[in-house]
Order: sequence, then C-alpha cells, then structure tokens
Amino acid sequence: MSETAPPIISVQNVTKRFGSFTALENITLDIRPGEIFALLGPSGCGKSTLLRIIAGLETATEGHIMIDGQDMAGIPANKRPVNMVFQSYAVFPHMSVADNVAYGLKLERLPKPEIAAKVEEALAQVHLSDFAHRKPDQLSGGQRQRVALARALVKRPKVLLLDEPLSALDAKLRDAMRLELVKLQESVGVSFVIVTHDQSEALAMADRIAVLEAGRLRQLDTPAGLYKQPVDRFVADFIGSINMFAVIGQHDGATQAETTLETAELGRVRVSSARLPASGQGGLVLAVRPERVKLADAPPESADAIAVAGHLGDVAFQGNSSIAEILLAGGASLAALVSEKEADRLMQAESGSPVTAWWRADDMLILPENALSSGG
Amino acid sequence: MESYRRNFRAFLAFFTPSFAWLVLFFFVPLAIIWLYSFGENETITKIRVTWTLDNYRRLLEPEIVSLFWRSVWLSVLSTAICIVIAYPIAMVIATAKPKWKPWLLLVIILPFWTNLLIRTYALLNILGTRGRLNDLLHWLWSMGDGALAALGLGDLQLLGERFVPVKFLGEPAGVMIGLIYVYLPFAVLPIYASLERLDRSYLEASLDLGASQWRTFRQILLPLSSGGINTAMVITFIPMLGSFLIPDLLGRGQVDMIANVIERQFKSGNDWPFGSALSLFLLYVTFILLALQSFAAMRQRRREEARG
Repeated sequence: MSETAPPIISVQNVTKRFGSFTALENITLDIRPGEIFALLGPSGCGKSTLLRIIAGLETATEGHIMIDGQDMAGIPANKRPVNMVFQSYAVFPHMSVADNVAYGLKLERLPKPEIAAKVEEALAQVHLSDFAHRKPDQLSGGQRQRVALARALVKRPKVLLLDEPLSALDAKLRDAMRLELVKLQESVGVSFVIVTHDQSEALAMADRIAVLEAGRLRQLDTPAGLYKQPVDRFVADFIGSINMFAVIGQHDGATQAETTLETAELGRVRVSSARLPASGQGGLVLAVRPERVKLADAPPESADAIAVAGHLGDVAFQGNSSIAEILLAGGASLAALVSEKEADRLMQAESGSPVTAWWRADDMLILPENALSSGG
Repeated sequence: MESYRRNFRAFLAFFTPSFAWLVLFFFVPLAIIWLYSFGENETITKIRVTWTLDNYRRLLEPEIVSLFWRSVWLSVLSTAICIVIAYPIAMVIATAKPKWKPWLLLVIILPFWTNLLIRTYALLNILGTRGRLNDLLHWLWSMGDGALAALGLGDLQLLGERFVPVKFLGEPAGVMIGLIYVYLPFAVLPIYASLERLDRSYLEASLDLGASQWRTFRQILLPLSSGGINTAMVITFIPMLGSFLIPDLLGRGQVDMIANVIERQFKSGNDWPFGSALSLFLLYVTFILLALQSFAAMRQRRREEARG
C-alpha cells in the first residue's frame, strides 16, 4: 500500500437520488492501490449503493467514478475493470463450480487450456480444488462464498468489491473468513472494497474505513484513528463502546485557555479551550471509553483527573476482562472495563456499594453531535 | 398433515362431499367410457362390452393418424409461439414497479372474466374475410400501394392488382391465432412466477463478470427460469391439444382437432365405443405429458431445496 501513488478508485462528489430520497450525498473519497477499504455504516446508510455505483450496477445522479484514472461515466458494468462478490454470492446454481469460475474467462475468448489452468489456479487459491465438479447445491455457505471469490478474482480485477461478504456466515466461520480474506488480499495484491455494517469486522480487516450515515460521509480514517479520534458523537458511538455525557452548559473558564463544560452527570468539568471542536453542529458531548475508566474508593488527588461518585451495579463477565456498571445519580450509568483480578474483587463487594469512577482529562473526548457543518 | 387422525369426524365432514363428487361425476363416468371403449354398437342405442380391441385398432387408420398429427403440430406450434410472446410480457411484469404489478397481472387475467364462447365469437368478427384484421391489412395495403404509386412504381402492381383478403377462418392460421389468444395467460403466469422468484443478483453477477445482456439472458436467465417455461408449456399444450370450441368455430370444420372428432362420434356419428377410445387415448397422452412435467419439476425442486 502506498500513500502517494495515484488512487485506484476515485469517487468524486457522488450523489444518488431515488425519486425524492437521497441515498448518497456528495461523497468524495479515494481508494488506494492494494489496500482493504471498508464502507461502514448502519443499514440504509447508502454504502451498498456506493459499491453498486462503482461496479456500474447503478448510475450516480451526480458526480464521477474514476477507476485507475479513467472516468467510468457511460461505461456499463460488463466493461468495468472491477468485479464483485455479492451478498447472496450469486453462484450460478445450474453450473458446476469450475463452470462458475470459468464463466467470466470464456467471455474473454481465451484458449481452452488457458482457461482450465486459470480456473484450477483460482480454485486452489480458495482451497476448493477438490470441488471443481460439484454443483453449488452440494456446497456449504462458506464454500459458495469462496466460489464467488474465485470467480471474481480469476478476472484479475483492478479492485474487488465485496458486499457484506461475511453476513451470511455463522459466527465461527465469520471469524475464520476474516483472516482468510485478509490473507487472500495480501496474496493477490489488489484493493478490496468491503461493505459492512459490522464495525468489529471493519476494524479487524480494513486498512482504512469510511463511516457513512444517512448517505453522508462522516469520517474516513484508519481503524485506530476512528477509535481514538472519532470526529463526532455518531462515529464514537458506532465504533466500539463509549460512555457519553451531554453538555448542558458552556462557560468561560478562569483564563482564555480554559472552558468549563457542564453536564448533568459529571457536574462542571474544566477543559482546555484548544480541545473544543472547531466545527460541527448540535450540542457537545463528553465521551470516555470504558477501558479508560478506573475505579477507586476515593477521588484521586491528581489535578487532571475527572471523578464521579456512584454505586456499583452489575458486573458482566467477558473472559479475560469484565464490564462493570457504575450507577450514577439521576439514573445514568457508566461502563468501566476492569481486569480479571479487579472483577473478582468487585464481585465480592456488595451490589450498590459506593465507588468512585475516574479518568484522566486527556482520555476524555469532546465531540460535537454531528461533525458535518450543514444538515444531512 | 396428520391432524385428520385426531379429528376424524371433521375430516369426514370435509372429505365426504368432495370425494362423493369426484366418484360420482368423474370416476364413474370415466369407468363407463373405459368400458365403452372395449364395446361394440349392437343397436343404435345399445352398446355391448365385448372386450374387442377394434376401437383402439381404428386409432391407426390414416385419417385418425393425420388428425392426431394435425392436432399435435397445431398445439406444439401454438405453444411455442405462446411461450415466445409470453416470456417478454412476463419479464415486463416481473421488472415493473411494485405498484404496477397487480394492475399488469389484472390485464393478463381480465379475459378470463369473459366467457370463452363470447371471446371466440369476437375472434370470428376479427378474423373473417371482411373482419377487422383484414380491414387493417387492407388499409396497410392501400398505404403501401399509394406509396409505390407515389414513387412511380404504381404500374408494376408489386402488391397485386387489388387487395385480396387473407383467409383465416377455416385455415390452420385462424385456429392457431385463436389457441394462442385464449391460452396466452396460462403461459404468462408461470413464467412470471419463476422470474419473480429469481434472485436478480444472478443477472448482475453475470454482467459484472463481463457478459453482455444477450449472453446473460441465454446463459443465466433462460436456464434459471426453465421451471416456469416448463410449466407454461404443459399447461398451455394440454388444453390446446384437447380444445374443441376454437377449432370448431374458427376452423369451420376444415381444421378439425381430436376433440371435434370425438364430439362427432358421440353425436352425429353415433359411435360411442370409438369416441370413448379416442377420448381415453387423449387422456393417456395427457397423463404421460403431466408425468414428464412433474418429474422435471421434482428435479428442479430438489435442486432448490438443497440450495437452502
């Protein structure tokens, strides 16, 4: 993957409307050669529509798609140098596995021995060599998916498009396929664009993730970047779990460099003015990840600590760690990730016993409701 | 399915009337026909069952063979044309916007609300030598003739000296038009059902892999809707083969099909045993076709089930 090479796919100001409904609004993003790029968002956010526009199965109402520097306007799906793995896999039920994989090659009028060799190679790549003569109805879901992968990859696309590739598999197979897809991408070297609604899938597989919501691009970053520096409340909430407190009042601090934010749960919190978001709309929220929350019997002495008193609620066991629920005044609650050892201690303690949750001010995010400056 | 064991009386209450109906008005008459087919006319009104095979032997007479042959090719050709016309119609309905579908289906089913006799009489009016279709052809002829005259080719009489009406009635063409018109909805509906069920991503995948629209149609759409085509063929071909009214009215006695000859045996011919043998032969042919069809459907279903 190279950050300076020209993008393999360039999505430029793409808008898609279905009647009065806007499925995508002014999306601009680049996909780099050789990366795994995830389009992530809740269902109905337009991510699949964007994938279908890239594939040529839908036409953008406005904007352009460039693939390898070439404008795709007016070029139909069957002439585009990309291939797609469909959510339902769409493995042709009336053809054998080998015929499915050969389907796209036969259209290129290659000599028969060459087709056979390529099919064999593609099937070996997805570990289906022994299944070449089976019909799709004799395969499991995971095997059918690999047929779809082989069928698309054998065309040597410049980019492979995958629409919810793992959603039809059961949980255990899904985890195995994540790794396998990443390995496959490394071995073939072409960019993968993966559409998914599952943030953990995107975090685990993608080099970069575009978060879409209601047809708009909320944030484009690496998984770590999205997790550590979400631009707004939506992204923070969508990626991983997070505790959030709505800011109900904003006051000037003692100096210019400081601002006091007021929340119902935490009371007044002093923050550095430089950390306030520069743009965005809606109110502000204070947010802290559960793994940053520490528990103590009394508030810490440290000046940059933010502490809140509460009562111990349920402790949910998660194996090597647990999630402790801290009940705050006013009915709110707070989640804290605690170690195995600490969880043991908390489980001994009586439910409802007083506890102080605290975190370092630097670990707390100050986020706008919506980072987009105009309504969406 | 097993609940009838638990509620035997309720089962009887529902089962008895329909079963009695079936026995009285279907199995018993069928058995009588079957017996008659091995019988001989003793007097004008009396038939004696002698277990002769003469009636079946007569099926091999040249006139009867040619009658069967005519019935079969008329039905085969009409079925084929029906499918060719029905497929695009079914495709249009299957790809129409959801709010349009019920209306388009209604248009297809609408002719069923009119009695077959009335529809066939309407066709007489359309297909006659002075009918609407010939009016249209006449108009087209005069337009063509006028155009040729305007081009200075009027003297060559390329389209004939004057318009000669095309004869449809009493000709196989007229009977076929009638058969196609009446049975077209039977062909549209099963094809529509199979296209409606079809996952569109198969077609998109084919395009995505570089296939043209035509190739996608031939190699993906057509094979995957073969179940519907199969059903459409059977449920148009079988009633066509046994149709009586359409060849009777539109064929004017010149284009007889099996059912017309059967009718004649029971009425003017007064040869019930031979009529019975003809009827049963038609029934056997139908059974064989149905068996072939359900065998094909079973294979298709098994394939779909395995696919999950």
